[in-house]
Amino acid sequence: MIKTSQLNKSVKTAEAELEILRGIDLEIKRGETAAIVGTSGSGKSTLLGLLAGLDSPSAGAIYLDNTNIVQLDEDERAVLRSQKVGFVFQSFQLLPALTALENVMLPLELAGRDDARIMAEDYLSRVGLGERLHHYPRTLSGGEQQRVAIARAFAAKPLILFADEPTGNLDTATGAKIIELLFGLNEEEGTTLVLVTHDNTLADRCQRKLIMTAGQLSEAA
Amino acid sequence: MKSPIAASLRLLVRDWRGGELGVLLSALLLAVSLVVAISGFVNRLQFNLERESASFLAADLVVSSSRAMPPEWQEEALNTVGVTGETVTFSSMVISESDDMFLASVKAVGGGYPLRGSLRVDLGGGRYGADTPEPGYVYLAPRLVQQLDTAVGDEVYVGDATLRVAGTLLDEPDSTTGFFGYGPRLVMHVDDLDATGVIQPGSRVTYRLLLAGSTGALEQYKNWVEPQLVQGQRLLSVDESQPGIGATLERARGFLLLAGSLGVMLAAAAILVAARRFGERHTDQVAVMKSLGATKKTIRTLYALSLTWLGILAISVGSGIGWLAQDAMFTALADQLPGEVTRTGVTPYVTGAVTALVCIAFFAWPPLARLGAVSPLRVIRRETTIADSTRATDLLLGTFSLGGLMLWYSSDIKLTAALLGSIGITVGLGFFVARGLLSGTRQIGSSAGSVWRLALAGMQRRGTASAFQVVIFGIAIMLLLVLTAVRTSLLDQWRLQIPEGTPNHFILNVAPIDEAPLLQFFAERDIEVGDLYPAARGRVMEVNGDTLPEWGPDATGPRQREANFTSTDAKPDGNEILSGEWWAVGSDESLISLEDGFADDIGAKVGDQLTLRIAADEFVVTVASIRSVNWESMQPNFFVIFPEKLLDRFPTTLFTSFYLEPDEKYRVSELLEFMPTITLIEVDVAIQEIKTIIDQVSQAIELVLLIILVAGALVLIAGVSSSVDERLHESAILRALGAGRATLLGAVAIEFAAMGALAGVLAIMGSEAAGWVLQTQMLELDYQVQWLLWPLGVILGSLIIGSLGTFACRRVVSAPPLQVLREL
Repeated sequence: MIKTSQLNKSVKTAEAELEILRGIDLEIKRGETAAIVGTSGSGKSTLLGLLAGLDSPSAGAIYLDNTNIVQLDEDERAVLRSQKVGFVFQSFQLLPALTALENVMLPLELAGRDDARIMAEDYLSRVGLGERLHHYPRTLSGGEQQRVAIARAFAAKPLILFADEPTGNLDTATGAKIIELLFGLNEEEGTTLVLVTHDNTLADRCQRKLIMTAGQLSEAA
Repeated sequence: MKSPIAASLRLLVRDWRGGELGVLLSALLLAVSLVVAISGFVNRLQFNLERESASFLAADLVVSSSRAMPPEWQEEALNTVGVTGETVTFSSMVISESDDMFLASVKAVGGGYPLRGSLRVDLGGGRYGADTPEPGYVYLAPRLVQQLDTAVGDEVYVGDATLRVAGTLLDEPDSTTGFFGYGPRLVMHVDDLDATGVIQPGSRVTYRLLLAGSTGALEQYKNWVEPQLVQGQRLLSVDESQPGIGATLERARGFLLLAGSLGVMLAAAAILVAARRFGERHTDQVAVMKSLGATKKTIRTLYALSLTWLGILAISVGSGIGWLAQDAMFTALADQLPGEVTRTGVTPYVTGAVTALVCIAFFAWPPLARLGAVSPLRVIRRETTIADSTRATDLLLGTFSLGGLMLWYSSDIKLTAALLGSIGITVGLGFFVARGLLSGTRQIGSSAGSVWRLALAGMQRRGTASAFQVVIFGIAIMLLLVLTAVRTSLLDQWRLQIPEGTPNHFILNVAPIDEAPLLQFFAERDIEVGDLYPAARGRVMEVNGDTLPEWGPDATGPRQREANFTSTDAKPDGNEILSGEWWAVGSDESLISLEDGFADDIGAKVGDQLTLRIAADEFVVTVASIRSVNWESMQPNFFVIFPEKLLDRFPTTLFTSFYLEPDEKYRVSELLEFMPTITLIEVDVAIQEIKTIIDQVSQAIELVLLIILVAGALVLIAGVSSSVDERLHESAILRALGAGRATLLGAVAIEFAAMGALAGVLAIMGSEAAGWVLQTQMLELDYQVQWLLWPLGVILGSLIIGSLGTFACRRVVSAPPLQVLREL
């Protein structure tokens, strides 16, 4: 489902060129769950951004469902994301001007689906927010906002779900509930899940644990 | 995306609900309503003022002739223009039933006279009328009623005709045109003219054909008739007949167009600020949408369509607001405005719509178009920002589009260039000076107390954004300063044009022997009288020995001209020597000074030899100087002036002027009884009417200035609001860290006050440059550096911006920090 070969990412700073990722070779199969862990600044989020096609690598190839996304331009990657990729972010990234329902409808509308509203209502009910469809993000708690984000991610029925520190902004108890929800839905939908986390409980729930150290990736035993 | 239209509408509704659209829509509404209001108001005002000025002629265009005009001239006028009238004016003795006699200025009227303005007649018995007299009836001016000791219903005799007095003439629209309206007026019907038998070959009569209609038709008729005019025949239009009114109107129009253009610029500035803010606030939203699969094209289509809906909304609602505003302004002035209330026409709405489209395309669209380039990576890395590379092009395109819009709006390249140039100065200097000073303030700030350190660090850290704000504030203040300064000069100049005590009566044909008794008459009554000038009627025959052709249908180029010649050794006030030199006092050389238009007519320049004829004498003089004459001054003005000694040998009469208060009007009768041989020209009504027009236009200008001030204030508010979010976020963090209310508010106040002071400096520099160009080049006014504005601009700039900024950021201390941090 996801495959990279000799993936490199470097950025130019005032002093020198900084290598963030060095020769990453990675393969994640369909339906697998994988956690990328590592210290702050080790390159976890950069790798996630590259895998999701949000950014371009300096060298190497990334295959998402057999498509080398490095060869796609920004708009082609966007189309691919709309069809195959979902996201859950640490800071939820809900649009403040939209209600919970509208936030979930957004990717469905972008994909041109007529049943956007029905799908969105269904997924919000599944994350336990059936009664709060018309609430704005500012009136929801952090846990509720993340549940809206999870509903938004799954509603578009992605093949792959990327999650960036999904429990990073939540307390332990709420985080635990979110983890249950995320993995529960993942199992029901059969989605491939790749997440970046500092949270060992969360990492331990994944089938694979990949450790990022100074731009290099290794698999935990 | 299946249906971009539906999606864009949904986006718009959601943005509206989220309060994101308020500022942008307000700015667009401001642009449209401002342009519609000012343009509509100017159109209506101009139309009414032109009508009012046309009433000076009783028509839009007049063909004046010293002999009867060919009948086909009237036929052609009827065919081309549609509405005509005629007047025949001459002097005639009028005799009453009691055999009292008086020389009256008779005007026989016919057709649709008056085509503009109206008569006001006291019909007796408390009745008043405005109709022209029926055949067999006349109206008499009050002075004539008094002199003839007659009353309404009595008979009077004009030549062989017996006519009945139908009323006392209180007001006639064209009382002031033509200097040959000697004596009090008698108005009769043109059909009675033959019965009087007064007009004989050689009689001094002025025939006038009056026309009123559309500009195009009048222009067509003018082009048809002009080539057929011969000596003694000429066309009169409002500007030519009343140069004072023409120039006043032209300046008023110039000012109102300037005001309108400034309105457009202010609105564009507001839109620029609002769209930038809208773009910034949507960056995160677009990043999320892109991460969810929206392509660059999708984003651009969505926002382009959203802007289109916004534009349609702004144009329709803005036009409505603009209409209401101009109607309110017009109604407020209606009592003072002449004539009936007119419609605005479609032009203001078209102007408003085009303004909205240009503002959307060049000011609102670029920041939104850049949203397409937002990196989706921003969802995991907030520091990923929008590429700024196209901003210089935006500004350049914006400036060109604004220039085009203003040029279209004002049809005045000088005005456009002056305003764009001054904006260029403000923007150019603004960015460099503001950035330089802002970095300097940081160094000062680092050694200052915490409030100052916070304020100056904030300003410096927001470097470009702060400089942008300073420039926007600077432009808004500059435009307001320019408009205020121009308005003040304009009103001052108008007040000076006809100062209190301007002579409102002229006396002609005073025999030299009557000079002493006349002066004594005035001295006894404590009436100030002007200088007495000798006058002789003469004609220019030759220039450098070449005989000038007489006026005729085929004559082109320089021709003979007749004029009143006068002599004085002192250059008259208000005359300016354009070339050559004025002669020394007591000069006995054969010199002449010519008015520049007169010199053009005869094709003469300084140093040329002119052969002149006065009565039967021909003599040669040298052109010593060519002068400009201020025809707006209502003072005695002359085309041709000689040194005093030169005219001494010719028989001359004297010419002077004096001022009478309205309640001293009876002195005119006393004067005419005392010295019946003189000719008296009364221009008090004309002067009063010019003053009335000036007062009306002044009020209109004050009103328009007020609207522009409000627009300026809105731009300042938009500018201040543009950085509120960031400040709120920062302050929330600082409050969380324990910063006190006084510290935070103090820092905000200092920051805005410092930006206001900088903007004040920029505004003054820009406004001095623009003011100079506008006043000297466009409005032909004198220019003075407004030194007082310099400290005032800085102080007011910092006070106004400081207060507005602090007010806009009051939530910095009132909202709970957690709420702010969660919302932003």
